[in-house]
Amino acid sequence: MSWAADAGSRPIIRFEDVTITYPQAATPVLAGLDLQIPEGELVLVVGRTGSGKSTLLRSINGLVPHFTGGTLTGRVLVDGRDTAAHPPRELADVVGVVLQDPGSGFVADTVEEELAYGMECLGIPPEVMRRRVEETLDLLGLSEIRSRPLLTLSAGQRQRVAIGAALTPHPSILVLDEPTSALDPGAAEEVLAALQRLVHDLSVTVVLAEHRLERVVQYADRIVIVPGDGQPVRSGTPSQVMAQTPIAPPVVELGRLVGWQPLPLSVRDARRAAIGLRDLLVGHAPPVRTSAAPGTGTRAAAPAIRTDRLTVLFGATMALADVSLEAAPGQIIALMGRNGAGKSTLLASLVGLGQRGRGSVQSGNVRIDGRDPALLRGPGLLATVGLVPCDPADLLEHGTIAEECRAGDRDGHLDPGTTRAVLALLAPELTDGMHPRDLSEGQRLLLALALVLAARPPVLLLDEPTRGLDYPTKARLVDLVRDLAAAGHCVVLATHDVELVAEVATRVIVLADGEVVADGPTADVVVASPMLAPQVAKVLAPHPWLTVSDVTASIGSLLLRTHAPTSGEEIP
Amino acid sequence: MTAAPLASRLAGRAWIAVAIVSGIGIVAFAWPLFAPAGSMAVAHADVAPWLFALLMPLLLAVALAAAADGSDGALDAKAVAIIGVLAAVACALRPLGGGTAGLEPIWIILILGGRVLGPGCGFLLGAIALFASGLLTGGVGPWLPYQMLGAAWVAMGAGLLPRLTGRAEIGMLACYGAVASLGYGLLLNLWFWPLATALPSAIAYQPGAEPLVNTLAWLRFTLLTSLGYDIPRAVLTTILILIAGKPILAALRRAARRASFGSVGTFQGSRQTPAHQPVAAESVGRHDADDDLMRVTT
Amino acid sequence: MSHGRRARWLHPGAWWAWALGLAAAASQTTNPLLLALIIAVAATVVVSRRPQAPWARSFGFFLRLGLLIIAIRLIVQVAFSASVGTTVILDLPGVALPDWMAGVRIGGQVTIESLLIALYDGLRLAAILAAFGAANSLASPARLLKSVPAALYEVGVSVVLAMTFTPALVTDLGRVQQARYLRGRASTGPRAVAGAAMPVLEGALERSVALAAAMDARGYGRRGTASPRRARTAAGLLLAGLVACAIGTYGLVSADAPGVLGLPMVGFGVTAAIASLAWSGRTTARTRYRPDPWGRPEWGVLGCGIAVAFAFAAAARISPDSMHTAVDPPAWPALGLLPSIGLLLALGPGLLAPPIPGSATAVPRIGRR
Repeated sequence: MSWAADAGSRPIIRFEDVTITYPQAATPVLAGLDLQIPEGELVLVVGRTGSGKSTLLRSINGLVPHFTGGTLTGRVLVDGRDTAAHPPRELADVVGVVLQDPGSGFVADTVEEELAYGMECLGIPPEVMRRRVEETLDLLGLSEIRSRPLLTLSAGQRQRVAIGAALTPHPSILVLDEPTSALDPGAAEEVLAALQRLVHDLSVTVVLAEHRLERVVQYADRIVIVPGDGQPVRSGTPSQVMAQTPIAPPVVELGRLVGWQPLPLSVRDARRAAIGLRDLLVGHAPPVRTSAAPGTGTRAAAPAIRTDRLTVLFGATMALADVSLEAAPGQIIALMGRNGAGKSTLLASLVGLGQRGRGSVQSGNVRIDGRDPALLRGPGLLATVGLVPCDPADLLEHGTIAEECRAGDRDGHLDPGTTRAVLALLAPELTDGMHPRDLSEGQRLLLALALVLAARPPVLLLDEPTRGLDYPTKARLVDLVRDLAAAGHCVVLATHDVELVAEVATRVIVLADGEVVADGPTADVVVASPMLAPQVAKVLAPHPWLTVSDVTASIGSLLLRTHAPTSGEEIP
Repeated sequence: MTAAPLASRLAGRAWIAVAIVSGIGIVAFAWPLFAPAGSMAVAHADVAPWLFALLMPLLLAVALAAAADGSDGALDAKAVAIIGVLAAVACALRPLGGGTAGLEPIWIILILGGRVLGPGCGFLLGAIALFASGLLTGGVGPWLPYQMLGAAWVAMGAGLLPRLTGRAEIGMLACYGAVASLGYGLLLNLWFWPLATALPSAIAYQPGAEPLVNTLAWLRFTLLTSLGYDIPRAVLTTILILIAGKPILAALRRAARRASFGSVGTFQGSRQTPAHQPVAAESVGRHDADDDLMRVTT
Repeated sequence: MSHGRRARWLHPGAWWAWALGLAAAASQTTNPLLLALIIAVAATVVVSRRPQAPWARSFGFFLRLGLLIIAIRLIVQVAFSASVGTTVILDLPGVALPDWMAGVRIGGQVTIESLLIALYDGLRLAAILAAFGAANSLASPARLLKSVPAALYEVGVSVVLAMTFTPALVTDLGRVQQARYLRGRASTGPRAVAGAAMPVLEGALERSVALAAAMDARGYGRRGTASPRRARTAAGLLLAGLVACAIGTYGLVSADAPGVLGLPMVGFGVTAAIASLAWSGRTTARTRYRPDPWGRPEWGVLGCGIAVAFAFAAAARISPDSMHTAVDPPAWPALGLLPSIGLLLALGPGLLAPPIPGSATAVPRIGRR
């Protein structure tokens, strides 16, 4: 199904019966796509990894198939230009593109030069360039860092610079592939606010793909669903699409559950609709979330993690200050805080890397399962604590999955085949001969997890595990983490993903400037926090419900339906 | 897996420029060996190396500009990016070998990179890697143009070697690595050799002497001075290629495949570009005629 | 700012021109006094106009390299004693190398005259290196790359990429080594570096593909507005220049070529090649963001470089004795008028060049009061 262009606004992007097949692929990645995107809209493209979402985005400026190879039948018209006749470089004045991992697309060495690069290629006069760079610096709040080398920027700054660099040539279309996946909630909101300003004030057409619907749906004018597996692409207004799609942000799920009409897309709308629901909840308590019962083994007596006045200094800056923690087996702990708050440093100290960074000095005690990880090496370390770094590909260094797993067995002195068996449980679709570097982000994570889990460490640390993961993979990860906790593992997640935390964590620790500023059961910490609260908590505040399933569990959907403002419709 | 070079090829004009500059480069290196007594270079043997050191950067610039000229489609974004990244790898490897008996691991990158990218991009890779490394370390001196040209030849040579696959290819590259790094050392001794005056006559440059006399003196000079540096380098390069050659070649070729170097985006069933867009129509023709980048079928 | 002038970066090309002039001057003489003064001039200017940046430290490296060359030169002199002079100061036992080394002897008598020759010779190389070191320290490589001619744009981009990627690779290497530790493997030592190298290379190559896509999407390699005729002219000039250079080079190294085939031909070839670069550079549609201006200070610095080279060349013509200090018997070095004037002029950039902006790369600009 597709929609016709709104009266008055002409379609700036037109896909006419487009089918795209990559070389050496048996089936097309996109088939029979008819789509028109009107000028000045913010269009959200949704789909799971490998569904053809990125292909759709990249075909807007002709990167597919000019850059990637492959065959495109039908035609793509962008601002009246056929991409068959215009390679990406010739469309650079119309389409600005920000690809995944913006840091890898930087050409220049400082912020200002990077902003100017695209304009230099287009031959824009120097005076105009100068003016636009200044404007863009202000628009995106980059003027403080204008002469900084790009290498020294934080993830949020890099993302904003990449957007700015795509904006300076004044394209009428901006295409972004997962612009907020690496950002903490605050930085993500800044970026999305900037995008919304472009759409509203400058009438730029924005097409963006994003897995974290809860962050974006409320800003979208249109949603395009790319289901993959050869099924037709669907599109519609957010409320149309959100009423049907199996994947929806919590606020929409809550709305569907209760039967609110029109379906609220933002927390604000939902709060207005939820007055009745909140009244209903008075006197109920959310289901108590407990950590899995401590195992019966001897391990249960000792805390899985204990740190005592842990302090880490990088030169003059204090990355961690007097952190004293204790964690029991079976707990799922979310470590939160903005980028640079010390989350990764704490994880590094917990695996004994605190002293090993360049110029870092660690003091205080760390005990994992009663042992100091810094004194452990090789199999002993693997059997005690495992860390999956935020780029899981760092762990992978062999040519095939089979080799990688064999190396894992050797590293941990495990029985041959152990790692492969764990991987078969986590990701049955992966086969021996695949190259680890050819896997998707989510598959790499699962492979790295298998390598770490094979030695059955009582403590498992995950750094940003949901970055770039689609909903199905994330659901798999959530189940996996719960199973591990139930089996007596202590799992620590450093994450920005508030919905993941609401879903799975039993305890939340918030870090700021290296200090613990909050530590307690998930609901206690996140409900009151504007940045860390999940959508359901924001809608139902001051009631401490965190997820839709909690609401369902404690009150039951039948009761809810009778109290909904409009009811009678069957909810799928 | 094919052993064919995967990056774009140089246009004919670029090859002529590279060939002429290489020819002048050979003279700039080797004139002490054959220049006769009456020639100007011999008459001013203490100035000639400096003159060539001034001339070479200019000529290299011309050769690089011709080789990289965008209008011939020689250096598209893919080639620039991969050359830049490989040059960065070479730069990062260079300090590792600094000062330790000539163990310069950068040669494996230049040789394998030249092998995968082909002779044209190999030439660019060699020159650019040494230049970037000179700039990064603040080591821009009169030796730099000679180093750039030498490294460009080494990487280009790897791309010109016959097409073999599997072990035969690794063996061939390992042998080439030994020969090339020894040859590079010998060659780089030549440019400043005329400046090293007051050596005993058996190892000194004798202006205007018979080519054989000077050649032997140069070989003896190398034997006495830099061979202790060159041989470990050649051995290291060979060993590195034998050990790491296969995975690195595979990684480079995978990257080239991933970037679909030389691939052709095909458009089928797209109707004719509207007639009111002369720019577009013209550019279709250009693509077809000039660089055969895409086939637009109607 | 001490001089009451606006702080800005001097065009890196001007620094290089000045340094090359200084190097050319050094190559004209073996007078130790003049050579020492050239090094002093270079050091003075470097100290007065060197910015705070890692590359700016390379002057010291070049000075040490110069010292090393003097030392090697002296050692070579001692090892292969040549029969210059009569004042023997050391008599080493001699060792004759095998026949196939054509009777090279190691050791023997060492004379003060031969040592002086070696010293002056080494000093000259050291002075030339000092001039290069000054250029390396004063001219920012990033700015130098910004001002490459348009025809060399693609090459310039790959050099910039290489230079910005290198520190990122070093960071990657550290990260991957930590990841090896997480797998229970050795994370230090040569084996660990070797093991970490492959993931780093794979990561870098992956990024190069992403980078290429981003560059393509941002307009890298757009067709210029060049007319085919212009492009043909540039190509023709290029070919003519290269052929002329080839002929000229042949003229330089051949005994029976007429004189016009030597330097003049090379000069013509170089001119044509430069013209071709300039011409093909004009066919591009690209523009430049905030290019470094070439103003009066640049002309001044360039002039200083030319002046010192010219003064030394003229002095070498007029009074060769003062430029080449005698060693047999040893004489005191002379200080001629012409070289002195040249050296004074060479100090000019210390005043002519505008003050450098206060470490602009490190500190963000703070709002004006």
